[in-house]
Amino acid sequence: MSIVDRLKTIDRRIIFVAISLAVIIPLLFPIGLPIMVSPPAQGLYDAIEELKPGSKVLLSFDYDPSTMPEVYPMNLGVVRHCFSKNIKLVGMGLWPTGVLLGQEAFELLAEEYGKTYGEDYINLGFKAGGIVVISAMAENIPETFPEDYAGTSIEEFPIMKGVKNFDSFGLAVCFSAGDPGVREWVMIAHSRYGKKVGAGITAVMAPAYYPYLQAGQLVGLLGGMKGAAEYETLLKYKGTGSAGMDAQSIAHSLIIVFIIFGNVIYFIARRKERKKV
Amino acid sequence: MTTIVLLTLLYLQISPPKDVRVFDTPNDAGGSITITWESSPDAEGYRILRMALPDSVYTPVDWVDAATKRYVDKVEDGVKYRYIIRTERGSAYADSEPTDEVWSHGNVFHRGRTNVLIGVAVYTTLLLSFIYFAKRGKKLFVRKIAGLDAVDEAIGRATEMGKPVLYIPGLSTISDVATLASLNILGRIARKAAVHGTRVIVPNRNPIVMPVCQEIVREACLDVGRPDVYREDDIFYITFSQFGYTAAVDGIMLREKPAANFFLGMFWAESLILAETGASTGAIQIAGTDAIHQLPFFITACDYTLIGEELYAASAYLSREPLSLGSLKGQDWTKLIIGGLIVAGVILVSFGSDWFLGLFSS
Amino acid sequence: MFETIGIWIAALLTLCIFSFLYKDNPFYKFAEHLFIGVSAGYWACYYYHNVLQPNLFVPLFQEGRPIFIIPLVLGIMMLLHLVPKISWISRWPLAFIVGTYAGYYLITYLQTNALEQVTATLVPLVTFSSVVLFVGVTTGLVYFFFSKEHKGTFGGIAKFGIWFLMIAFGASFGYTVMARISLLIGRMTFLLKDWLHIIQ
Repeated sequence: MSIVDRLKTIDRRIIFVAISLAVIIPLLFPIGLPIMVSPPAQGLYDAIEELKPGSKVLLSFDYDPSTMPEVYPMNLGVVRHCFSKNIKLVGMGLWPTGVLLGQEAFELLAEEYGKTYGEDYINLGFKAGGIVVISAMAENIPETFPEDYAGTSIEEFPIMKGVKNFDSFGLAVCFSAGDPGVREWVMIAHSRYGKKVGAGITAVMAPAYYPYLQAGQLVGLLGGMKGAAEYETLLKYKGTGSAGMDAQSIAHSLIIVFIIFGNVIYFIARRKERKKV
Repeated sequence: MTTIVLLTLLYLQISPPKDVRVFDTPNDAGGSITITWESSPDAEGYRILRMALPDSVYTPVDWVDAATKRYVDKVEDGVKYRYIIRTERGSAYADSEPTDEVWSHGNVFHRGRTNVLIGVAVYTTLLLSFIYFAKRGKKLFVRKIAGLDAVDEAIGRATEMGKPVLYIPGLSTISDVATLASLNILGRIARKAAVHGTRVIVPNRNPIVMPVCQEIVREACLDVGRPDVYREDDIFYITFSQFGYTAAVDGIMLREKPAANFFLGMFWAESLILAETGASTGAIQIAGTDAIHQLPFFITACDYTLIGEELYAASAYLSREPLSLGSLKGQDWTKLIIGGLIVAGVILVSFGSDWFLGLFSS
Repeated sequence: MFETIGIWIAALLTLCIFSFLYKDNPFYKFAEHLFIGVSAGYWACYYYHNVLQPNLFVPLFQEGRPIFIIPLVLGIMMLLHLVPKISWISRWPLAFIVGTYAGYYLITYLQTNALEQVTATLVPLVTFSSVVLFVGVTTGLVYFFFSKEHKGTFGGIAKFGIWFLMIAFGASFGYTVMARISLLIGRMTFLLKDWLHIIQ
C-alpha cells in the first residue's frame, strides 16, 4: 500500500482527536487573537446606540439549549448593551425553550445592572403559532400576551403600561436557531409594519439571511459565536463568545490544512489512476 | 411664593400632540379607526379620548406610552366619532384639537398589495393553464434531472445485497412543499422496492407525515401486486425533537446498515450529521432539499443531490402527474418573467430611472 | 447540591455521546435512547400545556366559547387516523391545515421573499458587487429553468449559474463548520469549566 493510499484511508478518529486538541488547548491557554468587527454586527450595535434611554426593545428568544453556545452569548451581549444604556426590555418567545434561556440572561444581568423585573424588563413567555403570534402582536400586544411567563397579569407591571403594539419599541431583536424565527419577524414586523428588526442567529443560518441584510430588511445581524464575539468586542468586555474565538480560529486553521491536504491527496491519487489507465 | 407657583405652572405647561390625524383604517375588514400624531416632547404618555356622535362628552378609551404615535381603536362600523389626544405628564395635561368626524367601514380590496395581487394572478393563471394542458394530455417537456437514474441503481443495489432502503422524508410538516415533493418521490421508490421485495424503512419526525407515508407505501405495494411486502412497522414515528430524531436515525443506519439512504425533503442542522453517518456506513446516498444552507453538506457527503427546485422537478418528472408537472411549468414561466423583470429593471436603474422600483414596493 | 448532580449527569451523558466518535457502543446507545425518550415525553407535555390547554381546553371548557368546538372536532377527526376503517376522515383536517397555511403564507412570502428581494437586486451596474449580484441571480435562474435542455449557450449560462451556487454553498459550508466548532467549544467549555473547574 502506497503512502497516498494509506492517507486516503486514514482513520477519521485521528482527525477527531486533532480537532478536539485544537479546541481544548486554546481554551486552557488563551492566546487572545484579535477580533475584527464586521458591518452586520456594527449595524445592530448602532441601532441600539441610536435609541434613547428609557425606550423599549422587544427581544424574541427563538432558540433552544442545543444552540446555546452560539446564540446565548449574543443574547447576553444585547441585554447587557440595553441595560447599560437604560433601555427597557420586553422579552418573549416563539420557542418554549428560548423563554427560559432568555429569562436566565435577564436575571444574570439584572443583578449586575440593578434592574427590576416589571419596571426595567419583563418576560412575556411563550406563545405557540409563529407568524400568527407576531401578526397578533402588531395589532394588540396585551391581548396576545395578557400574562407574563409566570402567569401574572401584565397590567401589574409598569413597563407594560401603555404598550399597545410595535410602536412602543424602537427595535425588535430576534435570537433565532430556526423556524419560526427571523424570517417571520422580517415578514411581519418589518415588511408589514416597518419596524426595525435585528437578528442574532446560528452560523448555519447566517448565509440565508444575508440577502435580508442587503435588502435593508434587517438593521444588523450576528452570525454564530463569531457574531457574539464581535458584539462583545464592541461592548468592550470578554464573554463566552470572545473566549471561544481562539479555539475557533485554531480549529478553522486546522480544518483549512485538512482541506488542502485532502485535495492534494485526491489529485495525486487521481493522476496515478489515470496513468494506470 | 408667587415665583414658585409661577415656575411650577411654567414647568407643568406641556404641549399637546401635533398633527393629529384620524382616518378609517385602510385595507381592513372594518371596525377600526386609526389615529396618528406627532409626539410631544413633554409626554409621559397619551390618553385617547373618544366621542361617539351625537353624544357631546369625550370618554377615555385607553392610555399609551410616550413612544406610541399610532393607535388603532376598535369601533362600530358606520358610527361617527371624534377624538382628542391628550398629552399627560404627572397631573398636568394638554389636549389636542378635536379631530374631524370619522367613521369606519370594511374594505374589499387591499390597495397596498396591488402588485402582490398581480403577481399572484399571473402566477396562478400560468399554473392553472399548465395544469389544464397537462390534464388534457399535452406533452410538457421537463429536462431530465441528473441523479434520478441513481435512484433505480440504489434500489437495485439494496436488492442485490438483501438490505433495506432508508427513506427520510425530511423533518418538516405536511404543509411544507419539500415534504409534499418528497412524498411523491417516496411513492415511486416504494413501488420500485416493492417490485424487488426490498424493505423500505421510513422513520418520521412529524406525526402527521407518518400516516401519509404509511398510506403511500401501502398503496405502492398494492399497485405492483405485492401487498405482502408492506410492513407497517417499518414506517414509524420517533420523536418531534430534532436531535433526538437524528440520534435515532443514526442508530438505525449503523444497526440496520441500509444499502441506500434517501434524504429528500426539508432539513435543518441535522443534515450533515445524517449524511456523514450514512456515508460512513458505505450506503449509496441520494439527497434533495430546498433548504439552501443544508445543501452544501448533502453535496459533499452524498452521491447525488437534488438542489432546491430540482427536488420539485424530480417529483414532477417521476410522477408525471398533471398537477406537479403543470405546477413546475407554471413556476418555470414565472421565473422567466422574474428574470425578464430583473434584466429590464437593472438596465433602467443603471440609466437612472427609478420608477421601476416602485412597482415592487407595497 | 442538585446543581452539582445535574452537572455530573450532563457531563457523563456528553461523554457517552462523544464515545460514538470512537465507535457505536452501549454507552452511546443508552444516551441515545434516554434522549429520545426524554424528548418524546417533553414534547408530549409541551403540546398539552402550551398548545392544547391554552388554545383549546381553556377557551372551550373554562371560558365556554362554543366556536372552539370546531378545532376540537377537527382534532378528533385527525385522531381517527388510528382507526383503519375510517382513517380517511383524517384527510379533511389535514386539507384544512395545508390550505390555511398555503393561503396565509402565499401573500407574505411573495412580498418578503419575491418582491422585496427582486427590488434589492435592481441596483445600477456600477460596482463589481452589483455586477456579481446581477450575473449570479440571472444565471442561477437559468439553472433552475426546467423547460429546456441544458445544451449550447443555454447550457453554458446554466453552468455558470451552478458555479455561482457552488461558491455560495462553499461559503455556507464554511459558516456551518464554524457553527459546529462553536457547539464543540460550548461543550468543551462546559466540561472544562462547569464540570472540572479547570478554566475560569
